[in-house]
Amino acid sequence: MLQKTDKSAIGFVIAALVFFFIGGLLTTVVPPLVDKSWSKPFENTDPSKGPTGKLRPYTDVELKGRAIYVREGCWYCHTQQTRTLLADTKRSGWKGVDSPVSTPDEFVYDSPHMFGTKRTGPDLSRVGGKYDRQWHRTHFRNPRDLVPGSVMPPFPWIANNDDDFNALVAYIQTLGRAKDWRPDHDYEK
Amino acid sequence: MSGVQVTRATPIGAVPLAESIHEDTTAKWFLLSSVAYFFVVGIIALTIAAKFVWPQLLGTVPYLSYGRLRPLHVNGMLFGWLLPADLGLAYYIVPRLCGVKLWSEKLGIATAALWNVIVLGAVYALPAGYNKGWEYAELPMPLVALVVVAWVMFGINIFATVATRKYQQMYVSLWYTMATILWTTFVYSTGNIAVLFTTGTNQANLNWMYVHNAVGLIFTPIGLAMAYYFIPKTSNTPLYSHKLSMIGFWSLAFVYVWTGAHHMLHGPISQWLQTIAIAFSVMLLIPVWTVVYNFFATMKGQWHQLRDNVPLKFLMSGVVFYLLTCFQGPMHSLRSVNAIVSKTDWIPGHAHMAVLGCFSFFAIAGCYYVIPRMFRTQLHSEALANWTFWFFMVGGLGFFVTLWLGGFWQGWQWNNPSIPFIDTVVALKPVWTVRFFSGVLMFLGIATFLFNILATVVGRGQAVASPKPVAAVTA
Ligand code: HEC
Repeated sequence: MLQKTDKSAIGFVIAALVFFFIGGLLTTVVPPLVDKSWSKPFENTDPSKGPTGKLRPYTDVELKGRAIYVREGCWYCHTQQTRTLLADTKRSGWKGVDSPVSTPDEFVYDSPHMFGTKRTGPDLSRVGGKYDRQWHRTHFRNPRDLVPGSVMPPFPWIANNDDDFNALVAYIQTLGRAKDWRPDHDYEK
Repeated sequence: MSGVQVTRATPIGAVPLAESIHEDTTAKWFLLSSVAYFFVVGIIALTIAAKFVWPQLLGTVPYLSYGRLRPLHVNGMLFGWLLPADLGLAYYIVPRLCGVKLWSEKLGIATAALWNVIVLGAVYALPAGYNKGWEYAELPMPLVALVVVAWVMFGINIFATVATRKYQQMYVSLWYTMATILWTTFVYSTGNIAVLFTTGTNQANLNWMYVHNAVGLIFTPIGLAMAYYFIPKTSNTPLYSHKLSMIGFWSLAFVYVWTGAHHMLHGPISQWLQTIAIAFSVMLLIPVWTVVYNFFATMKGQWHQLRDNVPLKFLMSGVVFYLLTCFQGPMHSLRSVNAIVSKTDWIPGHAHMAVLGCFSFFAIAGCYYVIPRMFRTQLHSEALANWTFWFFMVGGLGFFVTLWLGGFWQGWQWNNPSIPFIDTVVALKPVWTVRFFSGVLMFLGIATFLFNILATVVGRGQAVASPKPVAAVTA
């Protein structure tokens, strides 16, 4: 049958689209229909099933901070996913307690998604509450003042603009907080 | 294989008479502007590589910060250089493979003009911070709309040319070009429009379907269209097997689109989808190996030509890089390998081998081959073209190899959580320094390429064209 398609342009077009759409539809349209956790916000009240907590929508200020995160391209250097790898759960962990892995239901309010592909800097999926505002202010002004050897760029125009800075930090402090997993609810403000 | 006339031994500059029915204005505009953007975006590329070595560099200027220049680099190389270069070459080869003139030169010129508007728009928008936040789909919506319009204009022109063709049988390069037009329409809409109606994991899945297929179903088929045309052309040898090219094409058509989720292995996405993506990623070896075998078999007994045929050097090194990239790809998608290399500096090493080492090499070969012909002159300097090749080759290898080694080492360190993260950053600094200097070499490659092309076009009056007799060898 395909022998014919190199003589007939119409036949070719139809075959090329059919081949493409089989995989195209099965891998994009079908998965969210099968897997409900992609669209249902995280909620758990039963400690025996893992960390408790509830995913809430972003506030306006947090959304503004998120827009800055998108605009400044933080996501080219930082991922937001604690993967199902032991090292990831340890690196996202806190005082010897491993962090839970990231699950789709923690991200249903995210658009654009910020999972990322490259870790020039550490993963940020559980960074909410890790540092306080003053730390972030100094860090954005010049990361090397706090972490010698860092290659993160300085962001003085954020650190020096209270509105932008507060919004961005408000957003950062939400990261990974739907699951309340740290002992004693020990989070920085 | 009617349609591919292989002309007799032609040094880069010779002018085959048979090509004179073609006006080529559209191809000229696309190619010259893409080569110019290659140079401009090369400067951006060097700048961001330098920022890894000197992180304070230009650090107080918002629109020159890393997070804003990186998307300009990626979009600039993909949509300012590589895609329009491939489109320009398509405007050149499709009419020749069909034995007729381009359907509408006017429509083509309008498309080239519109494409330049899009690129200039991106050069403004991305540093200004208008970034939608999806990889490869950063451009603001008005520019996306223009891309769609330009794409439809390109598609109409090519399909209309094919519809009026003189040769009934369509050569492989035509299938790949037509398929690129069809698939890109859906792939691009998924990544730029469908994502708007989704969030979270669902959106990421669409985003990766697009990112993966931007390479797999846009740059791969249009790049292979060029390789299938220019390898037989520049080596004056018929393609080894029509049947193999069919297997390669239809397996690519079926397999590629399934693999997007391999970008999220171990991540917050359903396990069964990850497994499907892995299985199909491994199957990618089928289209790749059939295509590469076909090219190598074509070159059998012809390898001596590589000594002084610069376009062929680019083409065959591109094929080797294609083989390597597409071996890495399936390997990365195995869970055990992925746990080490994913998210590390290995990945830019891999991505650059595909987009620069393979597809840009094909496009550079195409430019060196067609530009003297379109302007009916000789290449300004064959020796300089050879320098272009070696700058790219040495710079490219330096770039790829150091990033693989560095990335692998980095991944190894990450998997040992007792090593503080910042130590893994500091450990990579020598790697980033070598990357920067490899980048300087590649930039010299771009600069000599641009100069050679411009000198060819500007100096075309002086060069005495020496037309050679054309022998049509139809396999
Ligand atoms: C060029 C890559 C790069 C970019 C762009 C970048 N960072 Fe970083 N970031 C790093 C590196 C490297 C580190 C680790 C060293 C350090 O803490 O400075 C880091 C560390 C961090 C940390 C501390 C994480 C931890 O667990 O200790 C935070 C928070 C952070 N970055 C936020 C941001 C935000 C917000 C932006 C955008 C405004 C941003 N980064 C942009 C590279 C980058």
